[in-house]
Amino acid sequence: MDLKHILYVEDEPDIQAVAKIALEMVGGFTVKICASGEEALREAVAFAPDMILLDVMMPGMDGPSSLAGLRALPELATVPIAFMTAKVQPAEVAHLKSLGALDVIPKPFDPMTLATQVCAIWEKRNG
Amino acid sequence: MDERDALKTVQAEIAQLRDRYVARLPAEVTEMTELAGRLKGDENDRPTLDFLRHRLHRLAGSGGTFGFHALGAKARLLEQEVSQWLEDPVLADGPTLEHFGDGIASLATLQGAGPSGPAAVDVAMPPAPASGQPARIWVVDDDELLGGELARLLAQFGYVTRLFTRFDDANAAARAGERPDILILDVLFPDENLNATEALFRGSALDTLGCPLLFVTAFSDFPSQLRAARLGASGFMEKPLDVPKLVDRLERMHDTSPATPHRVLIVDDDVDLAEHYRLVLTAAGMEVAVENLPEQVMERVATFRPELLLLDMYMPGYTGPELATVIRYRDEWLSLPIVYLSAETDLDKQIKALGHGADDFLTKSISDAQLLASVRVRVARSRQLADLMSKDSLTDLLKHARIKEEIDIELTRAQRSGKPVCVAMVDIDHFKLVNDTYGHAVGDRVIRAIAHLLRQRLRKSDGIGRYGGEEFVVVLPECDEVMAKAILEDNRERFGALRFRHEEQELACTLSAGVACANSGQTVAGGDLLVTADEALYAAKHGGRNQVRIGQVGAKATAGTT
Repeated sequence: MDLKHILYVEDEPDIQAVAKIALEMVGGFTVKICASGEEALREAVAFAPDMILLDVMMPGMDGPSSLAGLRALPELATVPIAFMTAKVQPAEVAHLKSLGALDVIPKPFDPMTLATQVCAIWEKRNG
Repeated sequence: MDERDALKTVQAEIAQLRDRYVARLPAEVTEMTELAGRLKGDENDRPTLDFLRHRLHRLAGSGGTFGFHALGAKARLLEQEVSQWLEDPVLADGPTLEHFGDGIASLATLQGAGPSGPAAVDVAMPPAPASGQPARIWVVDDDELLGGELARLLAQFGYVTRLFTRFDDANAAARAGERPDILILDVLFPDENLNATEALFRGSALDTLGCPLLFVTAFSDFPSQLRAARLGASGFMEKPLDVPKLVDRLERMHDTSPATPHRVLIVDDDVDLAEHYRLVLTAAGMEVAVENLPEQVMERVATFRPELLLLDMYMPGYTGPELATVIRYRDEWLSLPIVYLSAETDLDKQIKALGHGADDFLTKSISDAQLLASVRVRVARSRQLADLMSKDSLTDLLKHARIKEEIDIELTRAQRSGKPVCVAMVDIDHFKLVNDTYGHAVGDRVIRAIAHLLRQRLRKSDGIGRYGGEEFVVVLPECDEVMAKAILEDNRERFGALRFRHEEQELACTLSAGVACANSGQTVAGGDLLVTADEALYAAKHGGRNQVRIGQVGAKATAGTT
């Protein structure tokens, strides 16, 4: 299966815009942005993402609770999820992965290489 | 739209977003400063603090994304500060809040430093070619023959060239958002009835490229040169062009080697402060390690190999000067810059401390920008000195002793990795004749040309040294005999195709090379490898020059013993 549809959950409009450019124009993916975990829960199933990127710190539902919520939806139970965060201390990363995330992408990301990073994570999804 | 155009479009889009962000920022900071000013230090602050935390969090994220790393890092620190207050039942007191307000206000100045500041990844700037990626040059010349020849010759040096025979065509490409790394412009375009210096002066898309600009012309009148100077052109060269000389110029204009990050070790028992310094320096692209235990400093210096040591003056049980003295006992660390960090403002005490092997003194009230500047200047200077000691001044290649070291380093590495490594000796044919006929100035240019060529054509990981007058040594890690031969043949052909101009004459030179290879798993001494390469070079010279020969390591020794 190829990686085509990416759902990106992020509350900050500037980063949304840059990520959209980075993933659509550089990566050639179809991207849907949700501004909150709540919105993601409502809209994710209809979009049928191949992969989900989650900001960790968001007002309201944060990244980890969004992950739990998304995982609870049967359609999304096995979709690869990666976190995006500025806190990339080893302990932090280990904790995020223990929640069921495939990987953690450090912020700020480089718009030119974000698509490559995402692809690399996608390749890992089967072990 | 090819890939490069696509990238340009992306860059342009992001630049636009960034511009909007920058335009919005001052108002945002002002608003946050006002809010911070209203904080009283009681329970009623909670909603405001919560709001501020959220805004700071966003600023931290977006600042970094747009390349304002210092701004992002500072916002992150302030965010953490607020988060702690919010978790604590006792909210912050007056002076702390005041300090916090100042911190928020300072965000505005960090934005002013801009993404062009400290090693920030500036998404709006044309991307610097990654290591090993050739620089793109636009040649704009209405003489198709001459321009084409120039483009071809520059390609010999490994540049990616594109020829425009009309000024307007190049202008249109620039307007469409395409960007070279270097722009070479003819001055007069009779067909289009324009003088390029005038056209750029009046304003043209080409002038907004922001890349180094070089004029080439057959008619160098003073007004054009003056306009070129005012346009900030890096050069104004007369035709007929001496291409190696031009390349020399280009190399200086366009340094393709991405600087390796500065390595800084911070020794401070104050964990928070050390972390703050670490953040500030890391945000500027430096590699930073923190050591909170002074007794570990020797080990840390040995393993981390810092280029600068930031040393706290007073730590429990030790003083900075004591540690500095201990460090200076080791010869290999004599040249390591040591800078004290302290709250000490007593000048006498500062001077006394400097007597103990340190180079500078920074007070802890130092601003982030000052800290960054001092560290950067110190490391840069220390690198310059190291370069002076290890690099040949004419060619910027490694000196004799350093390239021999490089061979040993690569041999050791190869033995660990089990990969082959090759050493080649390269010599310019009949170089003495060039010197005697055309003078040393021309000879020097030939030598610089071969140095440029080798640098352009070899990999980043290859070592190149000037071994003697016209003799060069190249170390090729992870490279077998066949690859080495192909690489050197390529260089030989390219070098032979170069034409040097001297007065009205043109001259060409050739090179000979000898290669020696240490195959996988073979244990060879660096000296033996050099001797074999030298013997192969000798064979190439005797075989008629302008050729590459491969020598067999140990061939002679075996013959002698059996």
